[in-house]
Amino acid sequence: MNSTHAENAAQFLADEPRANWHDETLWIVRQKRDKAAANIPEWERLRQQASAIKDEVLANLDVYLEQFEAAAIKNGATVFWAADAAEFNQIMLNIIRRHKAKNIVKSKSMLTEECGLNRFLQSQGVEVVDTDLGERIIQFRHEAPSHIVLPAIHLKRQEIGETFHEKLGTEAGNSDPTYLTRAARKHLREKFLAAEIAITGVNFAVAETGSVVVCTNEGNADMGVQSAPVQIHCMGLEKILPRQTDLGVFTRLLARNATGQAVTSYTSHYMQPKPEGAMYIVIVDNGRSARLANPKYIQSLKCIRCGGCMNTCPVYRRSGGHSYGYVIPGPIGSILAPHTHHYPDLPFASSLCGSCSNVCPVKIEIHEQLYHWRQDLMQHRQTSWLKRMAMKATGIALSGNRRYNTLGAVARWAVAHLPRKLLYLPVNTWGVGRELPQAPQQSFKAWYKTNNPSKKQTS
Amino acid sequence: MSKKTILQAIRRNKPQSTMQSAQEDNYRSPSWSQEECKSLFIKNLQLQGGEIGTLAELQTQPVDFTREDLRAEYANAPLEKLNRLESVLIEGNFGVAENGAIWLEDKDLPQRIIPFITQQLIIRLHPSAIVATMHDAYRKINLTGTGYGVFISGPSKTADIEQCLVYGAHGAVKLTVIL
Ligand code: SF4
Repeated sequence: MNSTHAENAAQFLADEPRANWHDETLWIVRQKRDKAAANIPEWERLRQQASAIKDEVLANLDVYLEQFEAAAIKNGATVFWAADAAEFNQIMLNIIRRHKAKNIVKSKSMLTEECGLNRFLQSQGVEVVDTDLGERIIQFRHEAPSHIVLPAIHLKRQEIGETFHEKLGTEAGNSDPTYLTRAARKHLREKFLAAEIAITGVNFAVAETGSVVVCTNEGNADMGVQSAPVQIHCMGLEKILPRQTDLGVFTRLLARNATGQAVTSYTSHYMQPKPEGAMYIVIVDNGRSARLANPKYIQSLKCIRCGGCMNTCPVYRRSGGHSYGYVIPGPIGSILAPHTHHYPDLPFASSLCGSCSNVCPVKIEIHEQLYHWRQDLMQHRQTSWLKRMAMKATGIALSGNRRYNTLGAVARWAVAHLPRKLLYLPVNTWGVGRELPQAPQQSFKAWYKTNNPSKKQTS
Repeated sequence: MSKKTILQAIRRNKPQSTMQSAQEDNYRSPSWSQEECKSLFIKNLQLQGGEIGTLAELQTQPVDFTREDLRAEYANAPLEKLNRLESVLIEGNFGVAENGAIWLEDKDLPQRIIPFITQQLIIRLHPSAIVATMHDAYRKINLTGTGYGVFISGPSKTADIEQCLVYGAHGAVKLTVIL
């Protein structure tokens, strides 16, 4: 991605009705979440507990990972470890080759997106069918997911109807959601029944029992895993929970916070391979262990990928997931993205309103981390020259009383008297898409001096 | 394999906090009576798109997997045969009042795919076997010695097309619970 978030967002906003629909639809999801949360009197306590459990996991990650691996092996699974995306992709290819598999289905896994698994396998002549309806739609369209829970939320039904007409031979012009879903069901049933390998992501992995837990509404993880002789579960190493009883806390939070449902339709616990089947678990690092060392950003490893921070974010809702350019969009993606190499503008794609932190089920202080990133990126000169200069100038202006007073007066005069053309010169990037407020007659300081009831003089 | 390097990196980098295990959750579920649990279960199941029915009202003749002989017959059935299943009856282990979920595991299923591949899933559940919350549920489950277990709380569903809710994405189109 070469274009900035602001440029992409401008493109998204050019289609106003769609942008408004996107904004409103995600806000409805947020409201459903609020209702579901309000239904649980101990909601805040659950968040506290979830956060504490994740803290415990991160402080003892090595111990729990080894405990998990030992339990999983005892259950009959084979466990692999991958340091980075390249190793992960190679491990997956090796498993596929070992089983001489041609037909492979995959349910939702942000990790495989992060590692570019599909693209890599394709380059090796291996085709993977994504089976989540939203993911299948965007796979047909060669697009990336724009949301981690609602991957096709950027599309309108007519576009999906056209795609299905082209790929699945549905009636031209028919974009009825039930009709299209039925067509996808039929198409994917065939894929499931022919599958030799099923790949899934992992929501939780329990150290105590060696089980992996996957939550879906569609049932596509199970349709795949239970049809194919070989199942592969791919997990980031932070997905560990110490005990089975911890699942009580997390399954109560996840779906409620994601979509406002009390629980997903299916919460599946995979322990042992099927009779005569094989079960693999691949544990992936890909930068996570390095993040453990950074106290400023370690909290981001607690994320359970519920998508709540996206649904609530005023910037995400009005700019769309693709505008971020990183595989995980929205507030948490702007923390997880590898900024120093790419994406240096993402931490600025936020109003720092803190709504994300308020809804986060594991209590990550998302907006504070975004703020830290801004500082780090400024220090490392990763931001644009204009922004750095503007910041410097503002710093100077705000650090002296007299300078501040004078500049305030100048600004009030300028906004009131200068021609529009001059005020909205290209250096005023803030003014692109925003209107300057009307300038008040006097500064607050002056107003306070004349109106302060105690008439005490302040300087 | 990178196991060693990954674990070394974790040991080097992990926070050296003295923090012990998160307080064992001493959360007590609400003390709902059996009747309250049952009515909450019904309400939440219906919210998720599940239906409550009786054996007599059923429109179909389900393959009855509460019967030992049928379980045995289907234990090795090929996928094509399973794919023709219209409706099946399975005995549920217990339900969860707060979300309408029902726990099934290997011993209840001739094959793991059956509750998903069938068009209609019918689960019989003893009305006294309903716990209040997921905390109670996970205290109850013993996965040791089981290969697979699942909470099912409704029919398969999706809202991936413009957030319009459609039942029957991939799994069962209909879920009926007989209490
Ligand atoms: S950061 Fe929090 S709210 Fe955002 S996806 Fe992760 S868990 Fe959900």
